[in-house]
Amino acid sequence: MVSLMIPLATPRQDSDLIAESRARPEAFAALFDRYAAMLYRYVSRRLGPEVAEDLVGETFLVAFGRRDRYDLTRPDARPWLFGIVSKLVSRHHRDEAARYRALTRSPLDDVAESPAERVEDGVRATAVRPLLASALARLPKGDRDVLLLIAWADLSYDEVAQALGIPVGTVRSRLNRARRKVREALGHTNPLRDEE
Amino acid sequence: MDDLTTLRDFGRGLEHEPPAGLVRQRSRLLDEAAGGRRRRPARWPGGRRAGWIALAAVAAITAALIVVPTVLLRGSTGAHLLTPATGDRPFKQGEALTVLLLGTDQPPLHGGNPAERSDLIILLRLSADRKRATAVSLPRDSLVRIPQCRSADGRTVAAHVDMINQAYAIGGLACAWKTVETTTGVRVDHAVAIRYDGLAKLVDALGGVEVTLPRAVDDPKSKLKLPAGRSLVDGRTAVAYARLRYVGDGSDIARIKRNMTLMQAMLKKASRLGEPAALVSFVRVAATSVTTDAGLDLDAMLTLAVDVQRAGTRVTALTVPWRPAERDPNRIEWKQPEASRLFAQLADE
Repeated sequence: MVSLMIPLATPRQDSDLIAESRARPEAFAALFDRYAAMLYRYVSRRLGPEVAEDLVGETFLVAFGRRDRYDLTRPDARPWLFGIVSKLVSRHHRDEAARYRALTRSPLDDVAESPAERVEDGVRATAVRPLLASALARLPKGDRDVLLLIAWADLSYDEVAQALGIPVGTVRSRLNRARRKVREALGHTNPLRDEE
Repeated sequence: MDDLTTLRDFGRGLEHEPPAGLVRQRSRLLDEAAGGRRRRPARWPGGRRAGWIALAAVAAITAALIVVPTVLLRGSTGAHLLTPATGDRPFKQGEALTVLLLGTDQPPLHGGNPAERSDLIILLRLSADRKRATAVSLPRDSLVRIPQCRSADGRTVAAHVDMINQAYAIGGLACAWKTVETTTGVRVDHAVAIRYDGLAKLVDALGGVEVTLPRAVDDPKSKLKLPAGRSLVDGRTAVAYARLRYVGDGSDIARIKRNMTLMQAMLKKASRLGEPAALVSFVRVAATSVTTDAGLDLDAMLTLAVDVQRAGTRVTALTVPWRPAERDPNRIEWKQPEASRLFAQLADE
């Protein structure tokens, strides 16, 4: 087999790939290659590795099925994909809460996790972990989606609004409410800190 | 500390790296894209042997991370093993390292069907600080150009296009090495072949690993009998667990998941081998199922193993981008330019 060493063209935008996939369905796989790992990491945080793999697969099947309805004026497909992920994650709402509750009882060790990751783990203070976990377990679904899309998926307010199909104002109010609860749980409310 | 920062740190602690099995989800998508017409078994990296091969991947990647550098000690005298270099040694410490790993079920050129010999081919890149490792699986049925190689009986085999795993069948480690270097463009520092049966030995050398089962298993086929919950299992049981077919949804995906779980358990256990002495003895056992290139600085290799162990290396497992080959849909070819891009990134890392 001749191996073609084609020089790279300028990276194509997600919207181009999606547009192309309407005529050539297999082009959609490029979107998978771009984002599957990122989505997997996000879902593994919320639901653990067992569920994450299938859920990521399902996300792309759903996305593929809806590619005709994608708004091509949006070059970045992440908000769209995270929106689908959030919906699918919400079906596991109980498992997610149970996962966080389990973390309030046990050391992180009990989450099947590679030891490597723990080495650099910033949250060494085992005291903080159960507090955070229990705060997350108690958050209403909608608030938790917003909080985690911001904190763990690094989406902007606008992107979260797009992902969840809610107004930016709602994103802000849910985020503020969620952060307040987290801070209360951590027990170090700082009255001087502004709530963006 | 800011609450969002705290939350981010907490999230990082919960995060898992994408498993190699994720590529199956890609196949699922492609099946869908093909309108369900392309009903071929997902192949990572190949057909019905996928479960077994994934298991070999478990063994190989584990070995690569913790064992390989030290395994290169094989053939050394006891004196070397008794003086592990644990101090700060200069060799290689600041350099990235590329290792070619072959998972085999028997040594080359000893009969049997050649196509079944190096089922697992992985290019492993360790970053200079040893904190990151990228394992790229090269499916065995990839069509590539095998360069001219010398076979074990001294014949010269001309360059030709064939499945990549033929290289090992033709000229052993040296030919596989040459083939991978010429087709990927990545310079390979060391090559290692690991036998599948090494997995059980690795687990035993670790003193067993823990597995957790949602419910009790009594499977006469694999002779596996385990209670629900956590069990400490020995090598043979661990292999049976990983190969288990008629439990769960019976799918390869379920099996691959178990394999990944097993790998995690092994890494966990291995990272807790406290003193260098324990590491050395673990490596010594593992070495019996490994063939490698010769002429390495033994002390330095052990140093490397200790580095890897200390750094708590994070692995990313990938499969080279591929598609069904044009001339033969039962084979695959690497997808360009994605594959070249991946290899270029790998070499740069």
